[in-house]
Amino acid sequence: MSAEDRRPASCSIKPPVYLHIGDADAAHSGVCVLDVCLPLGKPVDIQEITFKNYYTAYVTVRLLRRSPGHEAPAKWSTALRDLPLMDNPHTEGGSQDYCSVHRAQMQVEPDHVTSVRLILRQPSSAWLTFSLEQIQIFPQNPEKEVSDWLSDLTLGDQHPDLEGLPDPQTVSSSLQQMWALTEVMQSNQTSASIGRYDVDGCYDIKLLSLT
Amino acid sequence: MADKEKRRSGATPPGMPEGNATKSDSDREFLSRAGVGELLRGAILKMVEARSDDPIGFLADHFCNLASVSETGTAGYSDVDHFSDGPLSAGAQEQQHLNRALWHLRLAHHSQRSAFSNNVRVAYDLLNLTGPLRRSGEVPQGPDVSCTDSPTEGGGGGGGVKGGLYTQTLQCLCSEGGVPASTSAPLLQRLHCQDHEAVPYDIFRHGVLTCAVFSDYIRQAQRLYAEVCCPDEGPASRALCLSVLGTLKEALETSQGCEANVCDNSNMKVNSCLEGNVKALCYLEASAKISPYRLGQAMAGAQARGPGGNMDAKEFENAAAELFITRVKVVS
Repeated sequence: MSAEDRRPASCSIKPPVYLHIGDADAAHSGVCVLDVCLPLGKPVDIQEITFKNYYTAYVTVRLLRRSPGHEAPAKWSTALRDLPLMDNPHTEGGSQDYCSVHRAQMQVEPDHVTSVRLILRQPSSAWLTFSLEQIQIFPQNPEKEVSDWLSDLTLGDQHPDLEGLPDPQTVSSSLQQMWALTEVMQSNQTSASIGRYDVDGCYDIKLLSLT
Repeated sequence: MADKEKRRSGATPPGMPEGNATKSDSDREFLSRAGVGELLRGAILKMVEARSDDPIGFLADHFCNLASVSETGTAGYSDVDHFSDGPLSAGAQEQQHLNRALWHLRLAHHSQRSAFSNNVRVAYDLLNLTGPLRRSGEVPQGPDVSCTDSPTEGGGGGGGVKGGLYTQTLQCLCSEGGVPASTSAPLLQRLHCQDHEAVPYDIFRHGVLTCAVFSDYIRQAQRLYAEVCCPDEGPASRALCLSVLGTLKEALETSQGCEANVCDNSNMKVNSCLEGNVKALCYLEASAKISPYRLGQAMAGAQARGPGGNMDAKEFENAAAELFITRVKVVS
């Protein structure tokens, strides 16, 4: 599946909340919380989360999942703990990289997710601020029915009873030729017109005025 | 064929000296004066392009063509016995153009794209001449000649091919391709043009290509019927024929459905790579419907529960033709 197939789920990203120790103008603790809310009533099975880093050293991903059908309240669970985005929090490496977290990397199944919480940590004092940008959540596409008819093709050993019937191989190859010829004709249709003005073969003035 | 007779009547063609030259006038000079080198080279090039199964017949047709061209090109000039009223009448001239155009269209199979397109272009230019020939000695040598000579708006002689001539061309193509008139009638209904209409090149090409493809299609359908029916047991069972044609119909509808889907998305910003993938998937899906396995299933199922009775070759052919013809766009 090519990357262009997917469209990110529409989500609302709340402004980042920087946690402080003590009063409001005390030092930053180097922890920030980003909440990403998915549309109400439409839980998503997450395929991938992509974002652009901005000087965040570690990220923890927590998911609010609500199992369908049950009236059980939604529960928070940690999908990824302290994923390092920068090799060294004090240096530039990885500070502005594009990253993605695939569902295979997560410790829990990201299905029926209603909300995602990203906890960002930046222990170094070298950076004034840190965050994540361009956060996109890609839902899982329902698998196309490619597999259905593809698997039909590989069922070579299940021959139906062909007693007294023509050989399917020869009939099939003739049909394929006919199909290909029809496709050739269709793909060569021209949009040129000869400029007829009749309505169903009739040039009656009264009819013409209606079109 | 009257042309051939005139040639052989012994009247020397103009330009040749009377009587035999002396032996000292060497053979090489004689050949170069007659322009035989060019003549043979042109013939061989045409033959290589056409690759016909009957080389002698092809060469005979080719030279016959050239002979008729050079005669009408020099109409009223030579001392050869023409019709007493000089140049050919308009109707006969049209027929001649038609014959020559058909000859060109027969040269290449429609699968040989560029050769076929060239030939269609030459044929169109031939049929596009509404008055007497504008230039004498016009020899249909190939695409370069016709391209440089005719202006880009599709022939200086007329604004398009006469509708009646175009329809006749299509009819001849279908009948030469082995399609009976009753089978090709609905197709021609969609493609034909009235005599008073001027057919532009695109429509001409479309019509010619469709008829060429259709004759292949009908031949294939006839072969298919022969495969489906066991020859010693008479006509094939109706259920079997219907199931076979049904799978073809499904495949066609699947690939047509994908066309529609792709077009629907054209408003959104879908890049061409994605479109190509979607189309490829649709074609794969359509072709899976006519795979041997699916066919085997369909035929086995039909045998068990299909309608009774038999279907003869004609009915099968018509049913197959209908699948094709419903997808042909009507000329409008």
